[in-house]
Amino acid sequence: MVTIAHETESRGGSQRRVLWLLVRRDLRLRYSGAALGYGWTVLEPLLMTLVYALVFGVLLPARKIAETPYMLFLVVGVLSWNWFQSALVEGCRSLSGEAKIVRTANVPRTVWVARTVIAKMLEFIFALPIVVLIIVFYRHPVHWQIVLFPLGLIMQVVLCYGFGLLLAPLTVIADDVVRIVRIALRVGFYLTPVLYSLNNLGAADGYGWLAEVAKFTPMAAILTLYRAGLWPQDLYTWPVYVVTSVMTIVILLLGRVVFTRLEGTVLKEI
Amino acid sequence: MAPVITARDLGIRFYRNRKRNISLREVLLKGRSTAPKDQFWAVRDVNFEVQPGEAVGLVGANGHGKSTLLKLIAGVLLPDQGSVEVRGGVAPLIELTGGFQGDLTARENVYLTAGLHGLSKEQVDERFDDIIEFAELQNFVDTPFRHFSSGMKVRLGFSVVTTLDEPIVLVDEVLAVGDRKFREKCYARMEELLGGGRTLFLVSHNEADLTRFCTRGLYIRDGLLVQDGGIEETLASYNAVLDA
Repeated sequence: MVTIAHETESRGGSQRRVLWLLVRRDLRLRYSGAALGYGWTVLEPLLMTLVYALVFGVLLPARKIAETPYMLFLVVGVLSWNWFQSALVEGCRSLSGEAKIVRTANVPRTVWVARTVIAKMLEFIFALPIVVLIIVFYRHPVHWQIVLFPLGLIMQVVLCYGFGLLLAPLTVIADDVVRIVRIALRVGFYLTPVLYSLNNLGAADGYGWLAEVAKFTPMAAILTLYRAGLWPQDLYTWPVYVVTSVMTIVILLLGRVVFTRLEGTVLKEI
Repeated sequence: MAPVITARDLGIRFYRNRKRNISLREVLLKGRSTAPKDQFWAVRDVNFEVQPGEAVGLVGANGHGKSTLLKLIAGVLLPDQGSVEVRGGVAPLIELTGGFQGDLTARENVYLTAGLHGLSKEQVDERFDDIIEFAELQNFVDTPFRHFSSGMKVRLGFSVVTTLDEPIVLVDEVLAVGDRKFREKCYARMEELLGGGRTLFLVSHNEADLTRFCTRGLYIRDGLLVQDGGIEETLASYNAVLDA
């Protein structure tokens, strides 16, 4: 059995400190070279939301595909999907992209993945004021189910962290992983109720079962938790949330196993 | 006294080529690959103990596993065989500029690197001026790191890592860096660290450096530890092999 022991004072405390240090560095790097800085965090999802609103809300208004106001519905989906997508793509590269620093610093290697997920979460949170502005603009009512919002946040953090632990070491070994993830994310974007609501989907044409299946994609239930305070009627039945939670935890455990198994190999390859 | 570094049957192997991609599935399923032909042991069956305050020189030809051994001690490589136990933290003078980010300023990089090696923000605050002064970068504190000359980069790296409180210092060939004036300062800093009771592990091809700092020598050949003794005699047998 291979063992390694590096003894240091209060491991937990110093890990948190290192994580925070790296998150701050990530955010600083992201904003350092850009004149507009924070503006990009808000502008990019806002532009995407406007484009989707134009195409699916104005140009193709054949039927009701989501809750109204559509802009508001979209912006919540776009922001959280952006976080998911960037956390996964950059999560893949969280070890290989930092090869030099991973090679020299003896910190728990999981920190490299965690910092990507947390940095992306903070960007998501920093962009939330747009949602508030749009709510105010439409004078949309906010219901008590808004308390489910943090639950969605926690589930997404765990999900992204699990995927990151799984993908980061695999990317070091085979760079193809990033490409696969990109394709999967593009497919996932249309399978996940970002642009539409699954509750308004397919039933009339006999494809209702497809919508039922799509509810079990990793991000679907999480999105409804974010939207619960705005459209409580859009929430799914409770088994969907149980299954999504279990799935999230399974991905986390799988990620941990793969990460631990491949850690030695990763350090050699990097 | 209890040893600060204990290596038991320590070993690590690497792939000779990039064929390992194929065995990814195998690694996932079994945790290891079963294609031993493509692998070689960079370090194997290495056993030693280092007491606190000892200064150990690592001697051996290029590619025989000295740096790999150092990285195993630093915890930035994990062994495939045996174990290495390190009590207390390690200040690694390995790939000195590795942790620095080109887009961040010298100041930000100092806080980042020192933080990664265990210093709190307050501790860095306290030492910041000393770090910059030692690296002679007073006028470039807020300059992005990528604009630094290679000498400046290494000076900053050396300055940060030797400021750490870690009781064990690992040095890989970095004493040769910088101009003569800076090298003198490095020597002085190293002696100061040793005088302060730190444990030193030095990899060098420079005999003068080795005899200056070290009392004990480990001779690594083909990944095996072939001699463990006084630095003078270890160097003598290393030279004997070279001359033969």
